[in-house]
Amino acid sequence: MVDITDANKKFQKELNSGIAALVLLGVLGQAKDPMYGYQIAKFIETHDEKIPMMKQGAFYPVLRSLESSGLLESFVNPSVSGPPRRYYNITDSGREALKSWIGIWDQTKAFVDRILKEKTDV
Amino acid sequence: MYKNVQEYLEKLKKELEGADPALIQDALSDAEGHLRTGLEEEIAHSPGLSETEALKPIIEKYGSPSEIATSYRAIEPHIAPSLAPARPQELRSFWARFFGVLAEARAWGAFSYMLLALFTGVIFGGWALLGGFISACSLLFIIGLPIFGLFLLSIRGIALLEGRIVEALLGVRMPRKPLFLKKDLGWTDKFKALVRDAYSWRSLLYAVLLFPLGLIYYGLFGLLFVLSLIFITSPVLELVFHIPLDLFGDNVFTPVWFLPVVCIAGFILLPLTFHFAKFIGKIHARFAKSMLVKK
Repeated sequence: MVDITDANKKFQKELNSGIAALVLLGVLGQAKDPMYGYQIAKFIETHDEKIPMMKQGAFYPVLRSLESSGLLESFVNPSVSGPPRRYYNITDSGREALKSWIGIWDQTKAFVDRILKEKTDV
Repeated sequence: MYKNVQEYLEKLKKELEGADPALIQDALSDAEGHLRTGLEEEIAHSPGLSETEALKPIIEKYGSPSEIATSYRAIEPHIAPSLAPARPQELRSFWARFFGVLAEARAWGAFSYMLLALFTGVIFGGWALLGGFISACSLLFIIGLPIFGLFLLSIRGIALLEGRIVEALLGVRMPRKPLFLKKDLGWTDKFKALVRDAYSWRSLLYAVLLFPLGLIYYGLFGLLFVLSLIFITSPVLELVFHIPLDLFGDNVFTPVWFLPVVCIAGFILLPLTFHFAKFIGKIHARFAKSMLVKK
């Protein structure tokens, strides 16, 4: 018997691996000022369901990956109270990528919805 | 259940065992930054809360050490050091490989590193020697302790910066995030932690060694590069501009029949210089990694 909870977790994880990059780029694309990791995680938390879709710690490696691809840039600033913070900012190529990723996301969403919702004879 | 941030970090470090040390350092730095900021906010919100209690929901949202380790391991292969690694297959002929080095970003990166080493060596090494001397002298007075602490901190900053240069030009993964000292420590304990940490001393030693190394790298590769350019352009220099190469004594022109030989020697010396820069770059990158990454 297949454990449904495990299967759900696996499915969610696989979905998240691609979505996290889009979500992070989307958040930073709308941000007026550069944001640091904790701030981004908190912002996403306010838009999340009661059971969070993604672990906050999983955002950090994605932020680094986006930075190494040149879609984000970062700088470290000392903080008054805690350890120094790394602030992230979207780059021009990041904005361009975000535009096309939103297009891809819309197409994917529409495609999946068509398959799942339309009552067609198979 | 984790008693404090340190315990979580130790577990995360264990989960990442075997991964690239620079990746481990970044993952720990990310986690520490997040958990400590969260902890501060939580305790400011409900002051009576113990660290263990306050930490529980933060870690729940952040993810368990094993989950976080998996995320970092999954992403890492997609994050290449700034210059792409050398092509694994070498199907080209000997001469294509020999001259092809001039078109390799890695070789230019290594060569640039060797030239830049003069400045980094003088600035970093100079600071390590001069700053070290001044702060060591100031240790005779009580005010010397914080000065020495600040000096060691600056050396750790230099280590991070040099790591970034090494990664960008020599193509070896180095730490991208600074190391933190525990936040809840007092000034004296912070100073002790700084002094006891072998990483501070290894960084200091590296900065000092970079001083002579930088001079040698710059002198050697600058000379080889200039020599090969002079050799290549020797026919033009001697026959058109009438500048003697002095190969056979002071103010003596090279015999015309020998100029093609000198010119060809220049064409061979140039790629040879880049091969050599790549080789030394590889050794230096290994050395930098062993010194500038926290074990």
